[in-house]
Amino acid sequence: MEEKKKILAVDDEEDIRFILKEELTDEGYDVYTLGDPTQALDKIEEIKPDLVLVDIKMPQMSGIELLGKIRDKYYDLPVILLTAYNSFKRDIASAASDHYVVKSGDLTELKNRIERIFKVKV
Amino acid sequence: MQDLPITALPQETQEALKAIGKADILIGIPSYNNAETIGHVIRAVKLGHAKYYPGKRAVLINSDGGSTDGTREAAQTAFDEDIYDLSLVHRPQEPIEGVTTTYLGIPGKGSAFKAVFEAAHLLGAKACAVFDSDLRSITPEWVQLLLAPVLEKGYGYVCPFYRRYKYDGTITNSIAYPLTRALYGRRVRQPIGGDFGFSGELVSQYLEKDVWETDVARFGIDIWMTTTAMVEGFKICQSFMGAKIHDVKDPGADLGPMFEQVVGTIFLLMKTYESRWREVVGSRPTAIFGFKTEVSPSPLQVNLERMIIKFKQGFDQHKTYYEQALSPDCMSKLAEVREMATERAIDFPKVLWVRIIYNYAASYQKEGDRKHLLESLIPLYFGFVASYVRETESYDDYKAEETIEELCEIYEDTKPYLLQRWKEKGCEE
Repeated sequence: MEEKKKILAVDDEEDIRFILKEELTDEGYDVYTLGDPTQALDKIEEIKPDLVLVDIKMPQMSGIELLGKIRDKYYDLPVILLTAYNSFKRDIASAASDHYVVKSGDLTELKNRIERIFKVKV
Repeated sequence: MQDLPITALPQETQEALKAIGKADILIGIPSYNNAETIGHVIRAVKLGHAKYYPGKRAVLINSDGGSTDGTREAAQTAFDEDIYDLSLVHRPQEPIEGVTTTYLGIPGKGSAFKAVFEAAHLLGAKACAVFDSDLRSITPEWVQLLLAPVLEKGYGYVCPFYRRYKYDGTITNSIAYPLTRALYGRRVRQPIGGDFGFSGELVSQYLEKDVWETDVARFGIDIWMTTTAMVEGFKICQSFMGAKIHDVKDPGADLGPMFEQVVGTIFLLMKTYESRWREVVGSRPTAIFGFKTEVSPSPLQVNLERMIIKFKQGFDQHKTYYEQALSPDCMSKLAEVREMATERAIDFPKVLWVRIIYNYAASYQKEGDRKHLLESLIPLYFGFVASYVRETESYDDYKAEETIEELCEIYEDTKPYLLQRWKEKGCEE
């Protein structure tokens, strides 16, 4: 049997973490959540996720900054940015993410993006 | 160090480099009639070395194509100039050595780069960077941005990441970036950006390839360097350089040879590296380094009407050829686009464009007259770019970038069609 893909979701909002955990677990993924982005690199080292979801606006550290740290340390670890606004794209560093998804109650787009990422073969 | 034949550096330049001995860093500046701008580029490089790598031995080589406007003299003047005090930059402990040479070989940017690679090889350089000689926006920081990922982070190849005006870089946006991304699975936004950083190890790989009688010796060099770095497994990143301000060209004018050489090289490499792209699905981003600033590149005026005229005239001229090169479904859709195009309006669907490129990529492998094939693609390119210009007329650069991202995903998603056409044309290994 194929091993479940591991997803780490980093978001300071508890409600969002809860929804992501519930819905993505239902999709068959092994979902871990984290509220403090400053611990993300340790968590990645510990659980070795196949994908990281990163909220852009977090008080302790911006998602873009965390993305830079992840990309610097893990050359090929997929990252999806979660955002409430499109304006983050003015930050050029966001181009180091695999995709971005505008947050919404409906996770269909996020699920499609995750599925697309897990199909990537390079 | 392995002995490789030196063919692009004249004997006297080889002697001059041997007299220098070893260098940690090699910076190359190719030129051809760039007397007006090359001095600025050299001064920026000298200051960049002094600011960021003052203790490293560095050589700066101007590899010229036989300029007649005083480019080499301007380069020599800039080499000799003492710019440190007035620029408030400490003089480096290891002064940068300046060398001017006229490269040997087919006239073109690629031959100029071969001379740079040979110089790097002779000097045993650990890290190299190349800068276009028509750059107006280069600053000393560019030296660090292209060299630091190699020297400090173990990357093999560093591509520039610029903010460019939405209509600047149309060959990049419509073909070079999305096609390379879809083929090899790595997102490098400016694969033919002109300014790159790379390791000494990658230089050795470049020099081992027998490509210097092809379009790689001309404008094909940039895409060849990027593709080689990707397929040979070198770690790639991008550095944010700000805005690129250089001698820009209207996409509707004068891009013929560049288009043919860049696209021809991509198609040629598809055969060489078939086993490397066939199985690739989707793409992955690369790390981006550098200081983020808000920059606005200067607008570039494009002549929409002229591009549409060139598309229509070209379609009528090459119609018979298109009927052979394209699949029937593409041909009928293309004829519709031609039929519907007016003086100022054209709607060239992205899916159709991608399918045309994939048809051409396959046809190129079996075509006897490749020059004619590539020439016949140019009017279609004008048609597609005109359609992109229309679509993004009211967009800012960020919104226009979303249109490019959409195109990239179409290239990726349409890849099974490429495999189908590749097979139908008998191109498979």
